[in-house]
Amino acid sequence: MMTKTTFKLNLGPQHPSTHGVLRLLLELDGEKIVSCEPDVGYLHRGMEKMAEKMSYIQYLPTVDRIDYLAGFFYSELLCRIVENALEVELSDKVRAIRVMLLELNRISSHLLWVGAFLMDLGAVSPFFYAFREREMILRYFEKISGQRMMYNYFVFGGVRHDIGFLEDVEEIISVLPEKINDYEKIITENPIFIRRTVNKGVLSKEMALNNGITGVNLRASGVDFDLRFGDYLYQGFDVRTIVLEAKDSFARYKARILEMRESLKIVAQALEYLKKSGPLEQKLINPLNLKLPEGDYFADIEAPRGVASCFVRSYGEKNPYRLKWRTGSYYSVNLLRKLLVGEYLNDAIAIAGSLDIILPEVDK
Amino acid sequence: MDWDKFREMFLGCELVGNKILIKSKLHDVIKFVMENYPYDILKEIIALHNPDGRIELIYNLYSTVDEETLLISILLDGDEAESVTDIFDSAIADENEIFDLFGVKFIGNENLKRLYMPEDWQGFPLRKDYVQDDTRLAWNDDKNNV
Repeated sequence: MMTKTTFKLNLGPQHPSTHGVLRLLLELDGEKIVSCEPDVGYLHRGMEKMAEKMSYIQYLPTVDRIDYLAGFFYSELLCRIVENALEVELSDKVRAIRVMLLELNRISSHLLWVGAFLMDLGAVSPFFYAFREREMILRYFEKISGQRMMYNYFVFGGVRHDIGFLEDVEEIISVLPEKINDYEKIITENPIFIRRTVNKGVLSKEMALNNGITGVNLRASGVDFDLRFGDYLYQGFDVRTIVLEAKDSFARYKARILEMRESLKIVAQALEYLKKSGPLEQKLINPLNLKLPEGDYFADIEAPRGVASCFVRSYGEKNPYRLKWRTGSYYSVNLLRKLLVGEYLNDAIAIAGSLDIILPEVDK
Repeated sequence: MDWDKFREMFLGCELVGNKILIKSKLHDVIKFVMENYPYDILKEIIALHNPDGRIELIYNLYSTVDEETLLISILLDGDEAESVTDIFDSAIADENEIFDLFGVKFIGNENLKRLYMPEDWQGFPLRKDYVQDDTRLAWNDDKNNV
């Protein structure tokens, strides 16, 4: 008589390596994963429902919270929707400020990922190194916006006030490349790290596309796709994309490290422009009685965790009729259903970590 | 894309801007588009509860090769739609979310369950006719005591 050899294991939602409140219901055969069922929703705040009851300016400060590690990206999306609908053009200086802050935000997000990912694998010290450098960026954000994480700095038609403290950015771009070299020295060639990531969680091109994976995870699977190229914000900036062919967890790590270096170059270009530029000129949209013309509006951007996009349908009223967010992490969580099957339990944490999942973005 | 050929195959569809409005055969249309045009990502499925009470689904297909977007929109007659999970794995996530928030049942998707809302939650929050009168909510206490 056959007996059932599999059993269920509940991973999370309080597990420290699930980066928040991800719950994975795993079915195991010994230590091998037979099936995986992600359970999300522990952090649901009803962002989409909330938008229907709020005017655009009321909603703007809340969107940073969708992804608290990359708040600028979501502010940018909502601003972009309003700016596109009302056909407002941004001045070059506003574009440069936004590009600089977005890229710094991308670096800070990747830095946190490097630390947290290594922590998942059992290496504690890189976490502190990465946080030390991330702190420099957050201090700068605090100086210009008053907030370390929920910035509320981008407003419809421009930015809240002129940029300053450029010497801080200069310090960041002079210090960080060396620090990234240091990370590479202690991480990239570490034999334990290599054994835990190389050829683990191999994500083929077809599987990635079929699962709606975008961003760094897709580029580490060999697809040259980066929304920053067609983006009007990045016009005039020299953006280079990192595409790696290895497709495994190690490639995803390497792609993020290389992307940080590229982002620093973009920051340097923006800084160069801002140092020479004159006073801030911007045509702000009056947020009182702001009504979008009737129609459907789309906006998307290359966020640190994949393509983020916003959809708004307006019937010419003060609040959107329907607002929808698309976030990269949501699809990464869904991918775990397929990606973890056949792997061992101890690799499950490394693989889930390598996808850079952040739960507030999943739950919205 | 070859619009005339498409219209011949699927009668009753209209092209508005870059959005194709279809009446039925959702699964066949998406499959046809996937097989014949270079769209490779189903970016998202957007659901809307229109003022006339019908639910609209917008399928946002994207091509990473030539960076083009194609929108396919369908108005549902009831609260049932065809699932496209056999074409795109990412649709499992989208369809589950729409089931949770709009109550649309996708035929062919066996993974539908409550996602963000608790399992015993009543009603679908993003529908326009949704009323928050659940007796377990603290702010409905006054109503409950009457």
